[in-house]
Amino acid sequence: MSDALPIEVTSPTPLLELRGISKEFPGVKALDDVSFAVYPGEVHMLLGENGAGKSSLMKVLCGAYRADAGEFYYNGEKVAISSTADAQKLGIAVIFQEFSLVPYLDIAQNIFLGREPKGRIPGTIDRRRILADARRVLDTIGFDIDPSTTVDKLGVAQQQMVEIAKAISQNARILVMDEPTAALSDRETELLFALIARLKADGVSIVYISHRMAEVFALGDRITVLRDGRRIDGVKPADVSPDQLVRMMVGRNVDMTYPRHFAEKPGELLLEVKGLTASTGISDINIEVRRGEIVGLCGLVGSGRSEVARAIFGADPVTSGEIIFDGKAISGEPDLAARRGIALIPESRKSEGLALLRSVSDNLVVSALKKLFPSGLFDQRSAQRTADGLIRQLRIATPSARQTVGLLSGGNQQKVVIGKWLAAGSKLFIFDEPTRGIDIGAKSEIFALIDRLVAEGAAALMISSEQIEICHVCDRAYVMREGRIAGHLTRNELTEENIVRLGMHHA
Amino acid sequence: MREAAVVSVPNPLQRIPGVAIVLVLLIALFSVIAPGFLSVANLSNVLVQSTILTMLALPMTLIIMTEGLDLSMGAVLTLTSLCVAIVSLATKSMLLGLGAGLLVGTAFGVANGWLVAILGIPPFVATLGTLGMAQGLSLIVSDGQSVVGIPHSVRDIYSATLLGIPVPIVMAFVTYAAFHGLLYHTRFGTYIFALGGNREALRYAGLSPNKLLIAVYALGGAMAGIAGLLMTARMNSGHPTAGLGLEFDAIAAVAVGGTSFERGNGWLLGTLLGVLSVGVLRNGLNLISLPSSVQVASVGVLVIVALFLDGLRSRA
Repeated sequence: MSDALPIEVTSPTPLLELRGISKEFPGVKALDDVSFAVYPGEVHMLLGENGAGKSSLMKVLCGAYRADAGEFYYNGEKVAISSTADAQKLGIAVIFQEFSLVPYLDIAQNIFLGREPKGRIPGTIDRRRILADARRVLDTIGFDIDPSTTVDKLGVAQQQMVEIAKAISQNARILVMDEPTAALSDRETELLFALIARLKADGVSIVYISHRMAEVFALGDRITVLRDGRRIDGVKPADVSPDQLVRMMVGRNVDMTYPRHFAEKPGELLLEVKGLTASTGISDINIEVRRGEIVGLCGLVGSGRSEVARAIFGADPVTSGEIIFDGKAISGEPDLAARRGIALIPESRKSEGLALLRSVSDNLVVSALKKLFPSGLFDQRSAQRTADGLIRQLRIATPSARQTVGLLSGGNQQKVVIGKWLAAGSKLFIFDEPTRGIDIGAKSEIFALIDRLVAEGAAALMISSEQIEICHVCDRAYVMREGRIAGHLTRNELTEENIVRLGMHHA
Repeated sequence: MREAAVVSVPNPLQRIPGVAIVLVLLIALFSVIAPGFLSVANLSNVLVQSTILTMLALPMTLIIMTEGLDLSMGAVLTLTSLCVAIVSLATKSMLLGLGAGLLVGTAFGVANGWLVAILGIPPFVATLGTLGMAQGLSLIVSDGQSVVGIPHSVRDIYSATLLGIPVPIVMAFVTYAAFHGLLYHTRFGTYIFALGGNREALRYAGLSPNKLLIAVYALGGAMAGIAGLLMTARMNSGHPTAGLGLEFDAIAAVAVGGTSFERGNGWLLGTLLGVLSVGVLRNGLNLISLPSSVQVASVGVLVIVALFLDGLRSRA
C-alpha cells in the first residue's frame, strides 16, 4: 500500500481530505478506517465491487451519513461534515443516480429550488431573473436548452445535465458522480466527458464512481479501490493494469466450501432461451439450462440479471426471442409459467415470496392449491399433511406447520419459499440472490438443498452477487453486462476474477 | 454542445385536454335535451352554484398535488357554515361570522396537515378521521337543528351583484386568480410541485416538507371557512348536513380536470373546467327532473369518462 500518495499533483494540499472514516450499521461495518483525499481539478475514480463501501463513503462525503469516527480537512483545515448543509457549504455536491429533480417544474425552477430570486411582491419569484440566471449556468456547462422547459420532458442525459447545472450553480468545488454513464448512450457519454474536462479545467474536483474499466483509464487522474469497507490502495492509472485493478477489487481469502455433487454429465435440455429481448432493457439473451445443473447468472447489480429471470417467468413482456421449456415454446403470464413447472424464488422473499403473517403450512401449499385440491375446496388436514412432509423433507426448523412464517429465521423462510414450489411440482428453479440476509450456516444448508433438488432431476438458474458462491456452487455461469450476456464460463473457468473481468467494461 | 433530441412539439389537437371536450359535449347535450338550459338566467345560475365547489376544488388540487387527499372538506364546510350562522346570529356581524368560519376551518386544516406530515398518517385515513370529528361537532353545535334567522348582511352576499356580476362569481374569480398566482408565481407554489414530485429535493434544498405540507392542508381548511360563509348565505341558514358529500364533487372535479394523483402534476385551469363540468351536469339533470341520486352516480360516470379520454390520448 502506498499511503504517501501525493505524487506530482498540481497542488500539495488536498482540497478535501478524509482521515480514518468508519461507519457501522447494525451487523455491518460499511466503512472501516478509510482515508481519502481529493485534489483540486482532478478526477478521482472510486472503484469497488457491490457492497465494497463506495455508496457509504459517498454518503458520508455529502453529509447524508454521519461517520462514527474520522476527521475531515478542507484545504488543510479541520472541518465537520455532519449534515448535507455542512457539505453544501464546503461546495460538495452529489449527482445521485436517482435524480433530485422535480418532474413538473421547469429547468430554471429546478436549478434554483429553494434559492429563487425574489420578485417585487413578497413571496413571488422574479421570473425574468431566474430564467436569465439559469441561462447563464446552462451556458457555463455548454447545455443549449430553453430553461423554461419542464424537466418531465427531458431524457435521462438531459436531466443529468440539469443536475450538474444545479450543482454548479451552488458553486460546487467537488462533484461526486455515481455511475453517471450508466443510463447514457455513447454519444451522450462523450458529451459528459467533454463537460468533465471543462469542469476540471475550471478547478472543480470530481469523485467518480464507475464500474467501467475504460472510463477509469480514460478519465481518472487517481484511483482509489475499496473492498469490504476498507481502502485497499490508491494508485495512478499509469502505474496499474486493468487486471491488477480487478485483483485489488476481488482479492480476498475466503475458505468457504459448499457441499456440491457436480454433475458428471448434464441431463436433458430443460430450458433454452434464444435471442430473448424485453422492454426492461435486456437484449439477445441466449441461455441453456439442463437437468441436474446449477447454472449461475452473474454480473453487476443492474446488469439485467433479475430482468432475465422475470422475462423467463413471464413477469415482464418479451418483445422478441424464444423461451423453450421442456421441449415446448412457452409464453404468457407467471401463473402459466408456474403451472408448467418454472419456479421463481425472488430476491425480496419477504415482499414477493411469502405471506409473512400466514402460517408455514399456508405458505407451503399456496402454489399447489390447484394440484392438491382439484375440486376447489380447501381441506385443512390434507394441506397440513403436505406441509408436514415438506417440513421434514427440507428440514425447516419450525415448532409446527401452524407457526407464522414471519417469525422464522431468514434461512428457514427461504426454505419455505423453495418448499412452496416443490409442492407445486416445479422442475426449473430460478433463484434470485438466494442467500441474501441468510447467515453462513444456513447458506450451506440452502445450497445443500439446491444440490439435492438438481440431483433429483430438477434444474436451477442462480442469480447471485456473491461471486464466491457462484464459483463454489455452479456447474457453469453466464456473466451479464448492460442487459446482454457478456460471456459464458465453464466449471474450469469459473473464478471471481473472470466474473469481474467479464462483468466490467474492459479497457 | 447542442442538444439534438429536445422537446417534441405536441400536436395541438392532442393538447386539448379531456375535460374541455367533456365540458363542450355536456353543454351541447343539455342544450338539446334540457329546455331552458341555454338561457342567460340558467347559465348564470350554473356559475353561481359552482362557486362553492370552486373554492373547495382549488385547494383540493394543491392537496392532491402533494400526493395527498382531504376527505374532511365537506364536513368541515358544514361546520364552518354553522359557525358563520351561529356567530353572525349572535353578533349581528357578517365579518365576525366569517372570522369564526375561517378560524375553525383553518384549525381543521392545520390538524389535517399535522396528522399527515408529523404523525405520518396516510391522508385518506387522517382526513377520514377529521371528517367524522367535523361531522360530530356540527351536530353538537347545531343540536341537529337548522340555525335560522341569520342577519341580512350574510344572506345578501349570495344575491348581491358587483358591476352587474353576482358577488359569489366575483369571489370565485378572485379566488381562482389568487390560486393561479400562488401556484405558478410564488416560491410556495413551486414547493407544492416539489412536495408531490420529489420531496427529497426539498430536503436537499434545506426546506422543510412538513411545514409546507401543513400549510397546504391549512389553506384547504381556510378555504372551507370562506366557502362556509357562501353556503350559509345561499341557504339563508346554517344546516348540519349542508356540505354533505361536497368533498366527493371536489375530488371529482380535480380528477376530471386532469390533475394526476402522482408526482405533483397539477393543473388549476383543468380543475376550474372540472368544476364547471360537474356544475353543468348537475344543473342539466335537474332541468330534466332526474332525482339527485342519479346526479351522484352521473358525477361518478363523468370522472371515469374524462380519465378514459385522457388515457386514450396519452396512449395515442
